[in-house]
Amino acid sequence: MYRQDTIMELREQLDKKETTKEELFEKANKLAHTFQEEYNSFVTIIDKPKFKDRDSLLSGIPYALKDNFSTSGILTTASSNILKDYVPVYDSTVYKKLKNAGAVLVGKTVLDELAMGGTGTTGHTGIVRNPWDKSRMIGGSSAGSAASVALGIVPYAIGSDTGDSVRKPAAFGGLVGFKPTYGRISRYGLFAFASSLDHVAYFTRNVKDSAIITDVLKGYDPQDMVTLKDDGKKYLDSIDNDIQGKKLFYIKEICDREYYKDSNDKELLEVLDKFHELLDKCRSLGFEVEEVSVDKKLLEAVYPTYMCISCAEATSNNANLTGIQFGPRGEGVTTQEIMFDARTKGFSELIKRRFILGSYILQKENQEKLFLNACRVRRLIVDKITELFKEYDGLILPASGGIAPKFDASSEKLSDRYLLLENHLAIGNFGGFPSITLPYGMVNDMPIGVNITGRVKDDELVLNMANKIESVTGFKNIIAKVGDIDV
Amino acid sequence: MIDKELLKKYARLLMFEMKEEEYTTLQEEFDVILKQMDLIGNIQNISEVEPMTFPYKNTDVVLREDEVGDYLTVDEVLSNAKYQVNDQVKVPRVVEEDI
Amino acid sequence: MYKVVIGLEVHCELDTVSKNFSAAPNKFSEYPNENVATVDLGLPGILPVANKEACRKALLTALALHCKAPDEVIFDRKNYFYPDLPKGYQITQNTKPMGINGYLDIMVNGKMKRVDIHDLHLEEDTASLEHFPKYSLIDYNRSGVPLIEIVTEPCMESADEAVQFLEDLRDVFLFLGVSEAKSNYGQMRCDVNISLMEENATKLGTKVEMKNINAFNNVRAAIEYEIKRQSEVLSSGGKVVQETRRIAEDGKTYSMREKVDALDYKYFIEPNIPSTPLTEEYIEKLRSSLPELKLDRYLKYIEKYNMSDYDAGVLSKERPISDYFEEVLSYGSDVELSVNFVTTTVLGTLNKLEISLEDFFITPKMLSEVITLVRDGKISLDHARKILYQAIDEKVDPNELIKKQNLHQINDEGELLKLITEIMDDNLEIVRQYVEDGNRSAVNFFIGQTMKRSNRQANPNKSMEIIKEELERRKNNAK
Repeated sequence: MYRQDTIMELREQLDKKETTKEELFEKANKLAHTFQEEYNSFVTIIDKPKFKDRDSLLSGIPYALKDNFSTSGILTTASSNILKDYVPVYDSTVYKKLKNAGAVLVGKTVLDELAMGGTGTTGHTGIVRNPWDKSRMIGGSSAGSAASVALGIVPYAIGSDTGDSVRKPAAFGGLVGFKPTYGRISRYGLFAFASSLDHVAYFTRNVKDSAIITDVLKGYDPQDMVTLKDDGKKYLDSIDNDIQGKKLFYIKEICDREYYKDSNDKELLEVLDKFHELLDKCRSLGFEVEEVSVDKKLLEAVYPTYMCISCAEATSNNANLTGIQFGPRGEGVTTQEIMFDARTKGFSELIKRRFILGSYILQKENQEKLFLNACRVRRLIVDKITELFKEYDGLILPASGGIAPKFDASSEKLSDRYLLLENHLAIGNFGGFPSITLPYGMVNDMPIGVNITGRVKDDELVLNMANKIESVTGFKNIIAKVGDIDV
Repeated sequence: MIDKELLKKYARLLMFEMKEEEYTTLQEEFDVILKQMDLIGNIQNISEVEPMTFPYKNTDVVLREDEVGDYLTVDEVLSNAKYQVNDQVKVPRVVEEDI
Repeated sequence: MYKVVIGLEVHCELDTVSKNFSAAPNKFSEYPNENVATVDLGLPGILPVANKEACRKALLTALALHCKAPDEVIFDRKNYFYPDLPKGYQITQNTKPMGINGYLDIMVNGKMKRVDIHDLHLEEDTASLEHFPKYSLIDYNRSGVPLIEIVTEPCMESADEAVQFLEDLRDVFLFLGVSEAKSNYGQMRCDVNISLMEENATKLGTKVEMKNINAFNNVRAAIEYEIKRQSEVLSSGGKVVQETRRIAEDGKTYSMREKVDALDYKYFIEPNIPSTPLTEEYIEKLRSSLPELKLDRYLKYIEKYNMSDYDAGVLSKERPISDYFEEVLSYGSDVELSVNFVTTTVLGTLNKLEISLEDFFITPKMLSEVITLVRDGKISLDHARKILYQAIDEKVDPNELIKKQNLHQINDEGELLKLITEIMDDNLEIVRQYVEDGNRSAVNFFIGQTMKRSNRQANPNKSMEIIKEELERRKNNAK
């Protein structure tokens, strides 16, 4: 049953010679092609893989990589027309490490253009559909990576997470989505969206698999100055540690049922009920779980703060996309005209709007009030959470206030309550906190996810706690039921 | 509401243009975000907080030793450039006045 | 007459092994695009990694210019689009430059002038563009080369001051060893801002900017031309336009563009280069490693060593010569003789052979030993020179030569007396002529003999005295 198999199970099959890496690749490749038209997970599907036998748990096991990781000799588009023909000449550190571990690349996955979006609908090769319900989005920006794991094409897929780009789609796709501490994994070769918020993150179908990937990818990289010195640990070793007496908190202003009692959003209420049921299960596991109150003004500031910082950094990070030294050449008589034309044609309108917003925010006359104030709030929020982490080991919250939205869903749902529940994951990016989403229930036949965020550098404990909680959710190793297809 | 002409100027400075109706959408978006940022401005003593650039204080930072490491071959440098002459990237004649 | 106000922005490429934010070589390129890393090309996904040595050299220069150093190293992005800027932003320093509020004292036509430095910051060079009639070509070799920019206050009043400042600043770079600062290679270049104001006005006049001038004599020409041009505009009742001008080959300046509104560079802190703290200890260590600069050496030579203006100028002009000279002195050598030998024998040889001190065979230690012999009267100045030239020719230690050729003067009185007694005993007839007839020419005879028998090594003065004494003694004994 390849589609359901975890990394550990595939490892065992390989080690026992019940299967071969070639056979695994063939299955993954076939599934990738089978599902491509319907779900559109991939920009590029690899048909001729390179195999390397390595002494690693990942050796011989297929995976997918978001198409914003630089892969030498393999088209890398960031799902944008401005990079539609770009073939990198260098490997991202993540890809290099996976290659060295013998991991087998199945394809490069679709994202929201330049990773700026949360719907999986803005990539230049079309929308990505949710395997649990084709009429719904899977969320983004790591949409194709999420879909490829939810479809069972690969047991894990690499994405990137700047605001919630892995942890939100994980919730919508019934997956585990883990973003380790900022600096735990090198960003070298990850196309920058917002450098101070960008994290390498990944989808798996269980927490242990996330630990395995972290163990392979983590470590200091001289090419990325923000990377941490290696802590010399294998997180897989401590994944089953006892969690008795570990303290979790949730934020009252975000998930107290009282705030939403007048809401007619049934899904939201069900999400919250199930969340509070899960908290009880956590308590019975030995966790202490407490409610904490945080200034609502700060929480409401998360979204605009995220918008200001990410758009500002993105405007600058994408200023290299001019069609001069790479990318499609624009038309025109002067060099300015050809740059102008390349950018006008190369970016979708959404991206342009974000860039203008970012540029406005950075203008001298607005910088103090917009950009710097956002950076100030960022500190206030991070300081508040860090202070709470002195007492608590983790923050537990629903990853979203609902299930994966329909493609035609309007965005008029924006109440401030909704805002808090939908946008708090960015706190993990503000402070670089390790943060993991895992499935904990079904609402209207769609998966919902819970998120656990921990102290900076305490990835080990976050994985450990998530692994424990996973044991009581009843939703470990799920994949979407897609017809009768199997290989 | 933010001036549409101003937004057009920003677009030009960012080296692209948008469809006319997109500026209207953008005006609305600006309206939302600027209102929210106004609220942030009201947070007590906000001006006394030091702006945060890095997610946390990283004490592992080391500057690079001044040594030659990996770099690209000439072919790699030019491999994605559409127009080239004499192993250099070719563009229309750049006159400083035009930019 | 109007008062001239000049400010300079000087760019200088730092001499490092690798680039500022990548590990590509920072060296003179033989071929286009051969020294380019992913970072220098602005490829998607790249991250800058700051060069420690570039930071050290920038800081060292800031300290030499008496600037206040920051408490941490951070960089900013300066965002603008230009074909020579592959990332679409330049990594520079805006929030915390490597140095602020410094100065450099210069000597202009015999008068001291303090040029105030607004700041010194570390940044990266752009790619280079070569223009042809129909197209331009981009070479990324220069992209990412470490560059320091020094911004002066608008405090200079003449072309003389501006050019002297540039020359002295270049000497600072050379003395610190941070750059070769070759303006003909574009390693050092500057922007000139110039405005004119009424003699007793308090507000600065309209500023005209001239960008990217390489050669110092072009700086002079541009300033002199602008002073004349702006004076004419003002005195005919006109207004100077705020604009950027360029200097052409004819020495005149031409308008490039009027300044519409200043481009907003949307600076923000580079998030990929985390802060590196600079401790007081580190700054102090760096400060204490600063070499004495040209002007300080020059003044010291005059005040402490009573050198002529000319000699002080010659010996302080270049760091290697000055260091050589000071090392000679450090062995306790006589100052006057040291000046003499270094300015004539050493510099003369370097010029003649067209070599640098690095390839000069005589070490300061060797020279100081020769000088001591001369000072002590053990060898004559002429001999010392001859020996030195021979030593340079043959690449041998001059002191070895002196020993080998037995050129040591015999100064030992016992040894001289023994020799002289022998000579007199062999020439008793001449002694007798002195003792009995008072023949004074006997003295000259014995001197001649002493020099002959000693291979001219006997100290002539001492020998003379001993001969006279010995003859007198024998005369008295004979009585």
